[in-house]
Amino acid sequence: MAEEKGRPRHRALRAMLRNPSFLVGIAVLIAVVGIALAAPWLYPGDPLDMVAVPTLWPGEDPAYPLGTDSLGRDVAAGLAHGARVSLLVGLSAAAIGLLIGTAVGAVAGYAGGWIDNALVRITELFQTVPTFLLVIVLVSMREPTAVGIALAIGVASWPTVARLVRAEFRGLRSADFVAAAVVSGARPSRIVLRHILPNALAPIVVTTSVMVANAILTEAGLSFLNLGDPNLVSWGTMIGDGRQLLRTAWYLTALPGAAIALTVMAINLAGDGLNDVLNPRSGNQ
Amino acid sequence: MPDQGRRGRKRGDHVTSRELRPEALPNPHSETPAEPPPPISPPKEFTAMPFASDAARFALSRRQALMGASALVLAPRALRAEPRRGGTLTIVLSSEPTSLVAATTVVTPSLSVSGKVTEGLLQYDFDLNPQPELATEWSVSADGLHYVFKLRPGVKWHDGRDFTSADVAFSLLLLKQVHPRGRSTFANLAEVATPDPLTAELRLSRPAPYLIKALASSETPILPKHIYEGTDAAANPNNAAPIGTGPFLFKEWARGSHVIYERNPNYWDSAKPYLDRLVVRFIPDPAARSAAFETGQADLGYRTPVAMADVERLRRVADLRFETKGNSYSFNVTKLEFNLDNEYFRNPKVRQAIAHTIDRAQIARIAFFGNAEPCASPIAPGLRAFHDPAPSPYGYDLAQAEKLLDEAGFRRGANRIRFRVPLDFNPVLDEGRRVADIVRATLGRIGIAVDVRAQDTGSFVRRVYTERDFAFTVNGLSNLFDPTVGVQRTYWSKNFIRGVPFSNCTNYSNPEVDRLLETAAVENDAARRAELFREFQRIVAVEVPDINICSPTFLTIYNKRAHGHSLTANGIEASLADAYVDA
Repeated sequence: MAEEKGRPRHRALRAMLRNPSFLVGIAVLIAVVGIALAAPWLYPGDPLDMVAVPTLWPGEDPAYPLGTDSLGRDVAAGLAHGARVSLLVGLSAAAIGLLIGTAVGAVAGYAGGWIDNALVRITELFQTVPTFLLVIVLVSMREPTAVGIALAIGVASWPTVARLVRAEFRGLRSADFVAAAVVSGARPSRIVLRHILPNALAPIVVTTSVMVANAILTEAGLSFLNLGDPNLVSWGTMIGDGRQLLRTAWYLTALPGAAIALTVMAINLAGDGLNDVLNPRSGNQ
Repeated sequence: MPDQGRRGRKRGDHVTSRELRPEALPNPHSETPAEPPPPISPPKEFTAMPFASDAARFALSRRQALMGASALVLAPRALRAEPRRGGTLTIVLSSEPTSLVAATTVVTPSLSVSGKVTEGLLQYDFDLNPQPELATEWSVSADGLHYVFKLRPGVKWHDGRDFTSADVAFSLLLLKQVHPRGRSTFANLAEVATPDPLTAELRLSRPAPYLIKALASSETPILPKHIYEGTDAAANPNNAAPIGTGPFLFKEWARGSHVIYERNPNYWDSAKPYLDRLVVRFIPDPAARSAAFETGQADLGYRTPVAMADVERLRRVADLRFETKGNSYSFNVTKLEFNLDNEYFRNPKVRQAIAHTIDRAQIARIAFFGNAEPCASPIAPGLRAFHDPAPSPYGYDLAQAEKLLDEAGFRRGANRIRFRVPLDFNPVLDEGRRVADIVRATLGRIGIAVDVRAQDTGSFVRRVYTERDFAFTVNGLSNLFDPTVGVQRTYWSKNFIRGVPFSNCTNYSNPEVDRLLETAAVENDAARRAELFREFQRIVAVEVPDINICSPTFLTIYNKRAHGHSLTANGIEASLADAYVDA
């Protein structure tokens, strides 16, 4: 007991290792990230190039183990390169959302008063518009590029974080250690960044995993609606392209669909695991 | 000042356009007679009299029946099939009409439904030879300046009024003003005289050899003068609840769902229509349209009413039949159009190089799932009289393409890329995105990096035709029924007009091409006119202001219970008086 209390990091690590769903999530995630990183070596060249006879079924030609789509593009290459796009868009969108959300939430929660009121009203304004519709509007304003899509998803997804961070900050603002910092003459920016934020980090980390998963799904939805970047292959684009052939070549929809489901599930499992570990009150210790 | 100029031009246009602006505006509805419509069925010997068209249509329907019944067992039954009276036919469209009368709009769904109620002077056989509809006889003077139409006697509007030559004169002059294509189709129409109620005489200032092909109900609907006179044609309530002379009476329009038409018991062709009811359903999702055909909820659709990817699968559905005839009033050509002001594409060698990368057969097979005919000319193969079947002078040859690009000074640089250009595709086009993907892949092989840009239709039109902020596009060209009407607009230097959709967006300008097009537009001799268009095709094939790729094959899909629908050039867009269904 004494040893565990003395080394909180080891305690957390051990808790993680005891949590099977977290381990499965992380394992799948590492595999997906690995494939994404290795894509240029595994499948050099443009994954959108037409390389073979159209609509080869998986296994029909050993050179294209997962088959080809209706234009003769390699599905396996598409899945590998699509992982890059999906993960990159998901991560950067979550990062943008996190940045905006944390900033707004921190200011609102710490400052209180009319600033808090104003920021909460703005947050609510964003929350009244369905996220996906807002993303569609933002993406349609310019021609779709991967950067634009990540920005749009980030801009549309920050209110959840903002509300969460604000609640945490409001609770911590009156904590003793904050009062001590104020008394010792620390600047508000230092109090926010060095004292409150680290203590509010646990729920933010957990939310981030959900945001990444949601961003991947949103990007897939956009691409499915033909609003994705036409120069990049993403899982959503593959599903959208394959939809026409759903009745004759279902694997064109099923394979990227499975990739999305697996990745999103892995991220959620990992997020749940983190929640259990980081939140001492979840009772799974 | 500019206002005055515009007014001046309008006034100078034609004297008789005064007829369109009467001093007194009678309320068209106050005079609607309440008496029951008199029996207008023509006497028996009248119908029995074989009009040229009736004979031709009968022959066609026989041939149609023979062809439709590919299974030998069915052939004898199909041969002696008598049209059955009664029943409901359901047509499926991919989008909803903006108007049920194709007078002020040319969007496809409006063309699809307009002719059921609002007829035209003529209809056309599959080779675009005119056949009677509201006009029974017609003649064109040798100089091409004087047209006489004898109108069908005993025709009544659905509200009981007589159909007369005044309606014809009014309609043609109105369409000249309000119809999107009427401005050019009837540009040379100076006057319509009506010496008697059943004769309309058109006088032209210059010949218009395409005019006789423009008189189908979908292109030039004959409107009731007593309803449109003195009103804003585009806002006339008749557009949403039309009355006409046609075989079907408008019953209801449930927005977002369907339009219902019912049999006109007083139709001038007394035995017809055979159907009791015609339902036109709007189903935007292609998969749902496929399902509607499979389950028998849809009987008929045209212009390939399902996803091209789905055609092969549907061919194996026992109850479905496929027909290519009846889609010949408008052929399309899918093409790459260059912005000739672009820094790369102003160089003819670059355009020739790209022409060398286009494998038309491959694009037709892969992008269109085989439902397209390779076509190197802007005039579709379907317009047989004008189409030049010669292959492109720049055949598929990637090595030659690379050589031309080297000669043009665009050598492979960093990452083996010569230059990078955006490619915009027209989103309404069948398989436009797929063609763009193929072009992107093939140009990548010769070192041209292509960024495909996706956008909605409005943005595409604005970018290409107004802002001219594009390098090249995957676009389509509706040939319509004549090259002067459908093709000239994209090559004629005087039609380089910013802001006009589907005009000359390449900014192509060749005085010889202008001369050929302008001469052909007023050339009365069919053979000489065809030769002018051949010469035009030879020049643009060499100069490649655009690269014509293929002409999509429009399929009509129907349930085998539906008959008598693909008898004219504009098949499903025609009146469907001859259509019938098995029990």
